[in-house]
Amino acid sequence: MARIYVIDDDEQLLRMVGLMLQRGGHTTNLIGNPVDGFEQIMADKPDLLVLDVMMPNMSGHDLARKIRNTPEVENLPILILTARSQEIDRATALESGADGYLSKPVTSQELIEKVDELLSKQNGAPKMEQGIIIALYSLRGGVGQTTLAVNLASSLRRQSQQEVCLVDLSLSGGQASFHLRLQPRTSWADLLTEGLFDWAEIQKRLIIHPSGLRVLSAPALPQLPTILSAEAVTTILNTLQQNAAFVVVDLPPVMSAAFVAALQASDMAMHVITPDVIAVQTALNVNRAIAKANVTMKYKTNVVNQTTLEAPITPAAIEKALNTRIAFQIGYDANQPRALTQGVPLTLTNAQTVLPTAVNRMAEVIWQRVTKRE
Amino acid sequence: MTAKRYGHVINLDLFTDSYRVTGRALVGAGGIHATLADPNSDFLELEDAYISRIIKPGEIVASYALVAFRKDNINFIVLQDRRDGIPVGTQHGRSVFTRGRSIITFLTVPSFEIKGEIHHDGQLSPRAVLVHSMGRFQPLFAATASASLYPEISYSGDLILVHKDRIGIFCLQANS
Repeated sequence: MARIYVIDDDEQLLRMVGLMLQRGGHTTNLIGNPVDGFEQIMADKPDLLVLDVMMPNMSGHDLARKIRNTPEVENLPILILTARSQEIDRATALESGADGYLSKPVTSQELIEKVDELLSKQNGAPKMEQGIIIALYSLRGGVGQTTLAVNLASSLRRQSQQEVCLVDLSLSGGQASFHLRLQPRTSWADLLTEGLFDWAEIQKRLIIHPSGLRVLSAPALPQLPTILSAEAVTTILNTLQQNAAFVVVDLPPVMSAAFVAALQASDMAMHVITPDVIAVQTALNVNRAIAKANVTMKYKTNVVNQTTLEAPITPAAIEKALNTRIAFQIGYDANQPRALTQGVPLTLTNAQTVLPTAVNRMAEVIWQRVTKRE
Repeated sequence: MTAKRYGHVINLDLFTDSYRVTGRALVGAGGIHATLADPNSDFLELEDAYISRIIKPGEIVASYALVAFRKDNINFIVLQDRRDGIPVGTQHGRSVFTRGRSIITFLTVPSFEIKGEIHHDGQLSPRAVLVHSMGRFQPLFAATASASLYPEISYSGDLILVHKDRIGIFCLQANS
């Protein structure tokens, strides 16, 4: 999440750009006048500046030059956003000291991608050679697994500012799309129909959320477990891994060939358990079944997700029953039903309630481990 | 009390002999072409206009909230979306501007040479094209205007409207 200042004399455009950036997980300061803008930049030193060119009193080019000539803020990344859309305008913008250029009208996706690119350049964020696959699984339904997958993917996207892809392997109709208020016209089922799993084909099936998160959606209609072969899942995940920093996979609650293949392909498998007797008993049986099927996982961890107000079993009791450590605990969050209705994951809001706090922490730990590894 | 304004606002790049002006114009359903063809006014008004010299087109030398141009002194106008300039019709019924076959066209106006496509029905002759096309401005689609003395300076647009009276050379590619 970055602090972005936007300077534009057009009030409507200013508000629209501000909303786009906020949906991308950034905090914004909207300024209508370049002279005031320079003073505020000097005082606050933001992470990035989105700048219009055509403004009265001072053009965006002049302000960009002024910033580059001021030692205190000379390294501020500047993105020029202008209605002047000719090649000469791009060249002039870059000559004036801007780091990036976009012409209006701009889509939310273009803006977020460009902003992320400039921010990652500025932060020196590592460009990962191969992404991390995180698979969330549980054979008991209703444990909030999709909620966690969506929020974790959104949080990883927000924190890392890198490509993050959410893969919904649900067989009972696309669930993740509801959480993100997406209306997918395509899904992984189309890849199976065509039998092509290369990056170009997969890219066509990815839906881009305004936050920049990529989603490979599940088909809208329920499917038989046999539709997804182990080979198809392995190939899709490996291809995504080559092209995204993180691939978060929401597995179906069915122990199929695809389920096993996804667990084996993952770098981190997260077993989601709710603190109740049936969930713990199911988790025990899942562990046994996985061991019996000789499924090898690179790294396995347990997440306790409390989806009801009361938790009948304590985390310590769950650890004792499963004979393993609980890596992450997520408490009950009364805001989640509303977030689901609104189609905005809590980790993409500024809410500081239980779920986003815990999931953001989870994403932070994962991201820190990755950056240390790099 | 401000008067209610009808129509929608478009962004455009307008060129005179020596200047490039980027601004916004209020147009009706007929696009800027209809505004330019309006016989009730010899002037075109722009809002929030930013003026650059043609030899340094990226640099803004002046800006004004309201600017008026005498239509006869406009050489051409560059638009990024043809729907801002003319009525394009529908898939089933094209408008008078987009009907007919596409012909590659090269023309010159003071300080600029422009290459693009025109749509024309009927006999292929420069005279027929210029006389039969509607209005004072000739639409050129997918067009690029290059400065004659500074060929590295060029402007591209989905539509360029060229003032017919300012055209010097007008060439049509016969077998296009």
